[in-house]
Amino acid sequence: MPSSPLCLSLCGVALQNPVIAASGTFGFGHEYAEILDVSRLGGISGKGLTLHGSAGNKGVRVYETPAGMLNSIGMENPGVQHFVDREAAFMRALGPAVIANLGGHCEEDYLEGTRLLNGADIDILELNISCPNVKAGGMALGMLPDTAADITRKVKAVSRHPVMVKLSPNASELVRVARACQEAGADALSLVNTILGMAIDVKEKCAVFDNIYAGLSGPAILPIALRMVHQVAHAVSIPVVGLGGIASAEDALKFMMAGARAVQIGTMSFANPSAMLEVIDGLAGYCASEGLSNLQEIVGII
Amino acid sequence: MAIIQSNQQIAQGIWRMAISGAPTGRAGQFFMLRVPGAVNLLLGRPISICQSDAGTGETTFVYQTVGRGTAQFATLKPGQEIDAQGPYGNGFSLKEGHTVIIGGGIGTAPLLQLAKELRVGDPDRRIDVYLGFREESYLENAFELYADSVTVKRGGFVTGDVDFSLNAQYYACGPAPMLRAVANAAEKANATLFLSLEKHMACGVGACLGCTCQTNGGRKRICKDGPVFDYREVRDAI
Repeated sequence: MPSSPLCLSLCGVALQNPVIAASGTFGFGHEYAEILDVSRLGGISGKGLTLHGSAGNKGVRVYETPAGMLNSIGMENPGVQHFVDREAAFMRALGPAVIANLGGHCEEDYLEGTRLLNGADIDILELNISCPNVKAGGMALGMLPDTAADITRKVKAVSRHPVMVKLSPNASELVRVARACQEAGADALSLVNTILGMAIDVKEKCAVFDNIYAGLSGPAILPIALRMVHQVAHAVSIPVVGLGGIASAEDALKFMMAGARAVQIGTMSFANPSAMLEVIDGLAGYCASEGLSNLQEIVGII
Repeated sequence: MAIIQSNQQIAQGIWRMAISGAPTGRAGQFFMLRVPGAVNLLLGRPISICQSDAGTGETTFVYQTVGRGTAQFATLKPGQEIDAQGPYGNGFSLKEGHTVIIGGGIGTAPLLQLAKELRVGDPDRRIDVYLGFREESYLENAFELYADSVTVKRGGFVTGDVDFSLNAQYYACGPAPMLRAVANAAEKANATLFLSLEKHMACGVGACLGCTCQTNGGRKRICKDGPVFDYREVRDAI
């Protein structure tokens, strides 16, 4: 039987298609499994985990902007052990590749979290060094090549799973950070996390978010994310997973032509829960109309 | 995709929209409403069911134009499509016996379907409704179809008129100061009170964690674990 034109291998993991639910937008799959056929997805990246869990940020957490949204959730999560004990098997049973997203407040948290995840049936560890909404750790490690490489090297030394490093668009030298992660042993890169933004309530004369700054996502950031994916994909040889404002199959194709082997979709699922399934159908239609035996043929053609 | 059957202003800044072609829900549940293709206004808006008719398949919403999203809803015409995801959330749990319903402003909207379901469930029970509005009132005539008494107050606090010492179930929805006043009064009288809460939401299904609130049972999502809570659970959230 000929293989599906959408299938691919990512870090040695077989994906039925290149559409992955982005971390922080899909829980651990329970909620959307009630309203759509999540088994059709290529993969699911679970809610970002921290070693001990977190209640997240206080105050306003989401705020719509033109063609996008700001969020300041602050990594609310039940902790790594809860995930290992209670969520990983559920995610596996859904069918798509299982990606655990791991954040942290310090190096030891990341390494202990990685050790705990070694005991879980997951396919890929997504190392989150790019969350802009937590004060310590989080994005700080992803801002500079040396710190990004250091945590990548240490996590790689401990992890039994392939490690995909999720990069921050807020790093001033993103390409150098990407290269440093590759040299430190990263198996793949995913980008971009949210772009640091801000909202002000003019009527109340105050910042909307308790943390002042928050992460911008959605179609508004697509051209920036696309440019960054293009730059990074041309600077590294490991697989790149692209994300940032993808709302349609056409958007997904842009990221793949720019060099992404796979894509993640997040914010658009909030607006339209069926968005990812529509993208998968659109990509299949594209392969048929273009006569592609595999969609990977278009990766990096620009 | 649902179709708009009617969309009319019923008071200053208050609109009633009826749609067909979406699944019908229960009192206290809500839909994420969104104009299809409106990428500039990206997210759906959580709007509670005001009236739900399983027979005709129509769902009616009463909404206030408070921001860009609801202002856009007010421009929609009958026959146009609207994306109605839902119904989401847990509705009100219907208790037996004498019921007191307290609504403030646009918070009165989800209580109409509640009054209807309570009346349909028990034609003989007593239902007292208290509605408070800053200025212009609305929906009070619709409540009269189901309630034994409807007390309307314009300006001031309607909660002052409510006797919380009755052997009754209390339900409330409205602005946070009203909910706090109702919760305080219920606590003093040791009454049974359920509150319907709201907060900005991105997904409406419990995935984004944008609407979580602190409860005495840990952090809960207003969209998925609520929006109706026992007031004792959410004292810190209102």
